[in-house]
Amino acid sequence: MFGEQQRFVLFLIAPAALLLLLFQVVPIAIGANASFRNWALYAPKKTWIGLDHYYAVITDPAFLYVVLPNTFAFMVLSVAGALVAGLALALLLNRPFRGQKLVQTILLVPLMVAPVIAAIMIRWIFNDQFGIVNVVLEAIGLEGQPWLVQRWSAFGIILLTDIWLWTPWFTLLLLAGLQSLPKEPFEAAAIDGTTTWRVFRFLTLPMLRPVIVVCVVIRAIDAFRTFDIVWTLTGGGPGRSTELFSLYAYVHAFLNLDLGRGSAAAIIGGLIILVIGVVLYRLVDRIAKA
Amino acid sequence: MPMVSRPQFLPRLPTWSRKALFALALAAICFAFAFPVLWLMLTSVRPESGVYYVHRGTEFTLGNFAEVLREERIVEAFLNSALIATLATVFSLLVTVSSGYMLSRFTGPASRIWFGTIYVFRCVPYISWVLPLYFVTQSWGIYDTYIGLLLPHVAVHICFFSWLMKGFFDGIDPSMEYAAMIDGCTRWGAFIRVAIPSALPAIAALAVLCWLFTWNEFLFALILTGNRVPMITVVMAQFVTEMGLRWNLMAATAVMALVPAFLIALFGQKYVIRGLRI
Repeated sequence: MFGEQQRFVLFLIAPAALLLLLFQVVPIAIGANASFRNWALYAPKKTWIGLDHYYAVITDPAFLYVVLPNTFAFMVLSVAGALVAGLALALLLNRPFRGQKLVQTILLVPLMVAPVIAAIMIRWIFNDQFGIVNVVLEAIGLEGQPWLVQRWSAFGIILLTDIWLWTPWFTLLLLAGLQSLPKEPFEAAAIDGTTTWRVFRFLTLPMLRPVIVVCVVIRAIDAFRTFDIVWTLTGGGPGRSTELFSLYAYVHAFLNLDLGRGSAAAIIGGLIILVIGVVLYRLVDRIAKA
Repeated sequence: MPMVSRPQFLPRLPTWSRKALFALALAAICFAFAFPVLWLMLTSVRPESGVYYVHRGTEFTLGNFAEVLREERIVEAFLNSALIATLATVFSLLVTVSSGYMLSRFTGPASRIWFGTIYVFRCVPYISWVLPLYFVTQSWGIYDTYIGLLLPHVAVHICFFSWLMKGFFDGIDPSMEYAAMIDGCTRWGAFIRVAIPSALPAIAALAVLCWLFTWNEFLFALILTGNRVPMITVVMAQFVTEMGLRWNLMAATAVMALVPAFLIALFGQKYVIRGLRI
């Protein structure tokens, strides 16, 4: 039925496709089914209720006015912060200096730290009574803050932790990109005596654009589903003010034990990011072809 | 050919001050990146009585590590995490190397559809499929078992790693494989004996990344395991809520969880840096 080549192709992707089917496609289908039912631990009948859960989620003020804005603000700020820091560090490491290898190794440290551990460290550093940040602040005569129980400082710390964790990732990919750029345009610019800023603005940045765009797309999609650092740092608190989309779905499914509602939230989030993903993919395609 | 000097950082300052500024900036950056980890290490060697004044004590002890290692659950969690990370690495590579090879070497509808599928599933947030996976693993009877945690970990890497692997194979000239096939190798022979050996550095890079990702993963372990298969990240997160005040023990556990990741990353750094050109 199939030619030799088709059979080869099929065999190459069959294990991956099978795993994808069993552990992503099937669960998503079951989650979709659950999202249309009254599927909670206290309601064993699992009655079909149509779009009620979806309606409940998108009219929930907590989802609409806290979780969604938080998620998008987090996505944009975390990606922008890590991109700027990562690009600066990549440019720094791209010029030779003594001790460069050592600096590079130190900069890659956050890449090895589990987000949960990072969150624990940051929690300890910003502890309101014994954390080093407050100790230092009080030593220089300022007032210590209960960092993690105020909405904006807690959100800022979550953001900072995420940027700390993911900057090395940008540095690594952008450095690899920088090192594979052709040398000639930079030599020409140097002969003409072009200033550093103009070299960066009119040579480095445009030539690096494809790599930057790919990095941003990958990170943006990942930042949308951030869970572990928020869970460990604040648990979504104070109140629910730092909840992101993944936490919202988790809390409804496993703490309120309303699996239907949680699944509906998870699917709504999935649809949102799918739209963003497709738009971003078009963008990448256009930039890659330009 | 004239000698070309690179454009300088802050060109108007005299050389010595420019160098000093540069060194200072570097030191500050390194400090910012390393400080949280150093602080954690310092906390982990402070005795219980000194842990609240980490900055000014002079007593140090390794007792925290000994105390943590006496907790059976924590030791078990370390072993579980190491086992799952290693197995997930092996299986992920087995599955994604061939899938990436297919994406790179064949064009046509099958390849385009597979690439589209991978991109779409890469976008799906973990929670959207891990949350219902909780029912699925329960109804298949693999909830809270090694298999029930291992297979989702393999599945999650399919998309990203196939994509990276495609990039690596794209950078390898296929003419060697054609030559091998003309000399009588089958397609499988060309793939296994020619393509894979030349992709080994990239495969090493993926192995390092995969091990680190799995060792550090939290959400899967949180949802898909209960008491029978404790994983180190989950145990540590529980620490925060249950033993919230015993920072010295928590720091010791966290430091021990960092060590294997550091070793793997140090060993694999050069492969990752070489392998990640996209």
